[in-house]
Amino acid sequence: MGAYNDSRMDFAGLRSKLRADQVLDGSAAVRAYDCDAYTVDRSKPSVIVLPESTSEVATIVWWCVSAGVPFTCRGAGTGLSGGAMPALGGVVISTKRMNQILEIDIENRCLRAQTGIANRRISDAVKADGLHFAPDPSSQSVSTLGGNIGENAGGPHTLKYGVTVQHILGVTMVDPLGEVLEIGGKLGCGPGYDFLGIICGSEGTLGIVTEAWVKLTPIPSVIETVLVAFPTIRSATETVAGIIATGTIPAALEMMDRGIMNAVSMAFGLEYPAEAQALLLVECDGESVEAVEAEIESVRAVCEGNGCLEMSVAKDEKERARLWMVRKKGIGAMGRIAPSIVTHDGVIPRSKLPEMLDFVYSVASEKNIGVANIFHAGDGNLHPCFYFDDRDSVQVEKVVEAGEIIIRKCIELGGSVSGEHGIGVEKMDLMPLMFTPADLEAQAMAKRIFNDGELCNPCKVLPNQRGCAEHRMRWRGVAT
Amino acid sequence: MHDLEELTTHCIRCGFCLEDCPTFVETGSELESPRGRIYLVRSAIEGKLLWEDIKPHMDLCLGCRACETACPSAVQYGAILEMARDQIDRKRPSLTKKALLASTTNPTLLKTQLKAAKFIGGKMPGFVSRALAGEKAEANLPKPQINKPLPPLITDTPVRGEAYMLTGCAMQVLYPRVHECTRRLLRRLGYVVRDVDQGCCGALHAHNGDLETARKLGEALTEQFPDDFPIVVNSAGCGSTMKEYDELLEYLMTIPPSGSSDDIAKEWEASQQHKKKVDGFTQRTFDLSEFLFSHGLLDELKNAKGLSNKRITYHDACHLSHGQKITSPPRQLIQAIPNAQYVELPESMMCCGSAGVYNVLQPKMARRLLNRKVKHIQETHADIVATGNPGCHAWIAQGCEEQKSARVLHTAELLEAAFIGIEEFI
Repeated sequence: MGAYNDSRMDFAGLRSKLRADQVLDGSAAVRAYDCDAYTVDRSKPSVIVLPESTSEVATIVWWCVSAGVPFTCRGAGTGLSGGAMPALGGVVISTKRMNQILEIDIENRCLRAQTGIANRRISDAVKADGLHFAPDPSSQSVSTLGGNIGENAGGPHTLKYGVTVQHILGVTMVDPLGEVLEIGGKLGCGPGYDFLGIICGSEGTLGIVTEAWVKLTPIPSVIETVLVAFPTIRSATETVAGIIATGTIPAALEMMDRGIMNAVSMAFGLEYPAEAQALLLVECDGESVEAVEAEIESVRAVCEGNGCLEMSVAKDEKERARLWMVRKKGIGAMGRIAPSIVTHDGVIPRSKLPEMLDFVYSVASEKNIGVANIFHAGDGNLHPCFYFDDRDSVQVEKVVEAGEIIIRKCIELGGSVSGEHGIGVEKMDLMPLMFTPADLEAQAMAKRIFNDGELCNPCKVLPNQRGCAEHRMRWRGVAT
Repeated sequence: MHDLEELTTHCIRCGFCLEDCPTFVETGSELESPRGRIYLVRSAIEGKLLWEDIKPHMDLCLGCRACETACPSAVQYGAILEMARDQIDRKRPSLTKKALLASTTNPTLLKTQLKAAKFIGGKMPGFVSRALAGEKAEANLPKPQINKPLPPLITDTPVRGEAYMLTGCAMQVLYPRVHECTRRLLRRLGYVVRDVDQGCCGALHAHNGDLETARKLGEALTEQFPDDFPIVVNSAGCGSTMKEYDELLEYLMTIPPSGSSDDIAKEWEASQQHKKKVDGFTQRTFDLSEFLFSHGLLDELKNAKGLSNKRITYHDACHLSHGQKITSPPRQLIQAIPNAQYVELPESMMCCGSAGVYNVLQPKMARRLLNRKVKHIQETHADIVATGNPGCHAWIAQGCEEQKSARVLHTAELLEAAFIGIEEFI
C-alpha cells in the first residue's frame, strides 16, 4: 500500500453515502477527535463519520478499503492507551449514534444492543428486573459496550464476576473488508473455535463490533461494603494478600493511596483518619445475610491483624453507592491536582504488591514526577497514575519513561504489561518484553484471519507493523 | 484565580461528562460535548485553532452545566463557556444577539413586544428568527400570566424579619403570580418583602458572554439591595449568576483594561471597592426553595389543606440543580404537601432546551430537547410539573400544551396551592 495522503482526497464518495450531519470535518472537528483519554499521543483524522446502523458501518468500511484510507473505530473515547486515536489519520468511525437497545429477554437473562450504548445504560434498563450487566469499568457511566468489548474491560467486580468476554454471548461485526459477520448469538458460541474470545480484547484491530448479545447477571440479594483505613501502604497491601489467602473471594477489593485520597477528599469530601496512608474498599456479596456476614468477619480479622486504623461499614444503599462513586471517579478527580494524567496499567502476582508499590514510589521520586495509586488490588492490577503538565515536553518524556520502567518491573515479577486498559499505541513497544518473537508471530497470524490489510485501526497492539515507524517517531514526547 | 487557560487545564479528558451533556447525547458528536468544547477553547488559546472555528460549537452549548455535576475534577465549565463567549464576542460582536438580550431584559420593551405578538400569530416573525438563528422559530412568544386575585392570606405567624425579592426583568412581566406566591410563602414563614426599585441581574448577559454588561447590572443590583436582609430569588438562572458575582469580577479583573493609566487606576480602585460589597451579597442570596426549606416551610405544610387527586412531578432547572446544586429542598417540600402523589421524572436533570434565550437562538436543538422532555413527562402520567425557573416554565408549558400533557407550575405556585387550593391556579 502506498502512503495514504489525505490532502489529495475530498471524501466525496464517502459523503455521498451518508447524510451531511453524519460527517464531521474542519479544523475544530479533527482536533476534537485527535486523541482519547490517553492524551500524550495525538493524530488527527481527516473526517469523522457517525453511522447509525451496521449496514452504514459496512458501507463506510467498504468505501475506506476501496479508497485505501485507514479507519479507526471510536466509542466514548475514554480509553487509556490510545486505542481510538487515528494513528495514520483517515476516517474515525464513531459508534455514538448507535446506542439503541434492540431486544431484552428477561427470561433468558440476555439483551441485544448496538455497541455505542454506554455500559451503565444497559444495567439501568434491566435494574427493575433485578439484573445488571456485570462488567463495571470505572468509566461505565460513559464508556460504550463496543469499547468494553474492544478492550475486554474489567472493573472492580472482575475479581468475582470475570471480565467482559465472560459476559458476551454473540456479536455482529463489520470485518476489515466491509463484510458483516455474526459470531455467536443469543445462546453463545456453539461448538468449535471460540472466535468471541479473539474478538473481545482485539482493540478494534479485527473489525468493528456493531451489535452484541450480552449476558445479564442477577444483582446479589445481600451486599456489604466496607472502607478500611491503614497507617501504611505496606499494611494495606499485606492485608490484600492476607484476605485472598483465607480463601474468601470478595466481590471487589480495591486500594487507594494518599495521592488519590487527597483528590477524592477534595472532590467528594471523603473522610478518613488523618494518619491513614492507604484505604481498602472491600465488598462481599451473596444470597444470604449469614454467608456475607461471615465473609466480612473474615475480612475484618485480617484487617485488624494488619493493624488497620478504622473499618467502617456502609450503612445503606445510598452510602454504598457513594463509596463506589468515589472509587470510580477517583482517577477523574486527579484534574484537581494537575492538568494531565497518564494512568498506567500493569499486573503482578498479589503477593508482590508490597514490593511493587515501593518500587512505583521510588521511580516517581527518581524521575521527580507525582504519582497516585488507585487499583484493583484483589487482582494484582495496578494503576499508577502519574500527574503532570502535558504542555511541558520534558515532563511528558519522564512520564513515558517511568511507565516503561514500571511495566518492565511488572514483567520481572511475573506479571503482565496490561490488565484491562489495552495495549493501544501506548504499550506496543513493550509487547516483546512479555512475548517471544514466536508468540508475537502467532498473534499476528491470528490477526490475519480477520485483518490481512493495514487499514483497520493501524499501528495498535502488535509492534513492528509496516507503515507505523513514522507515526512512532513523530509522537514520542511531542504531542501538540 | 480565574484565568481562562488555567480553568481549561483542569480537564484531563476522562470523558465522564459525555452522557450528561444534552447536546452530546442528541448528536453523538465530541464537538458538541463539554470535553470537546474545553479542548477547543484550550486549542484556541494556544493558537492552534481560530476562535471563529470554535464559535458554532460554543453557540450550540446550552450552558446547562450538567457537565459540572458529572465532573470529578470540578472543572468550572460554566465559567469557561461564558469567558470563551466573551472572547469571541470581543472579536466579533453580534448585534442581533445584543438586541435580543436588551429587549428581553427590559420590562417595558418586553411588554410592548408581547402585545405586538398577538397580531402576528404568537411566534417571532420569520425574518427576525433567521437573523438571530438562521432557522425557523420554534418558541412561542410567551403569554403573560393572567393575574386573577388570590384569596386573602390568613396566617398567624408573627413577622420575623424582612427580605428582598428579586423581581427581575422578564419574570415580573411574564409571571407576576409567581412573585405573589413567593411573597405569600415568605409571609407564611414570617418574612415581609421589602420593595425597592431594582433592575435586571445580568444573568442572560453573562450566560451569553456579555460579561461587561453583566458586571454593570450586578453592580447596580448590589446597590439596590443595600441592607443585610436575605435576597430571595425565584428564578434559578438569576440566582445562579447572583451567587457568582464575585467570580465574574475576578475574571474581568484579569482582562487588561483600556484607557489612560489614571482611568485604569480609578477603575481598579472602584472594582476593589465593589468586590467587598459583592462578597456579602453572594452570601445572602438564596433560591426560594432553599430559603423556604431552611426556614420551616416543611412544618407549615403539615397544616396545609394539601392537594388530592393530583399526580405531581418535578423538573430540575439546570441553574438550580447544576448551577446551584439544589435538588433536594424543592423535592422534599413538594413531597411534604399533604396527600401529594409525587413521581420522579426520568432524566429530570437534563435541560429542556429553553436555556435562557437558547430556544430563540438555536430553535432546532431546543425543539429536540423539548420533545425529549415532554415524552418523559407523559411517561409519568403527571397532572402537574413543577419547576423553578421562568425559561423552563414557558418552554415546557408550550410543549405540554401541544401534546395535551401536564400543567406547568412554578414550585412557588404549587406550594401556595397546597395552602389555598389548586383551583386558584388551573
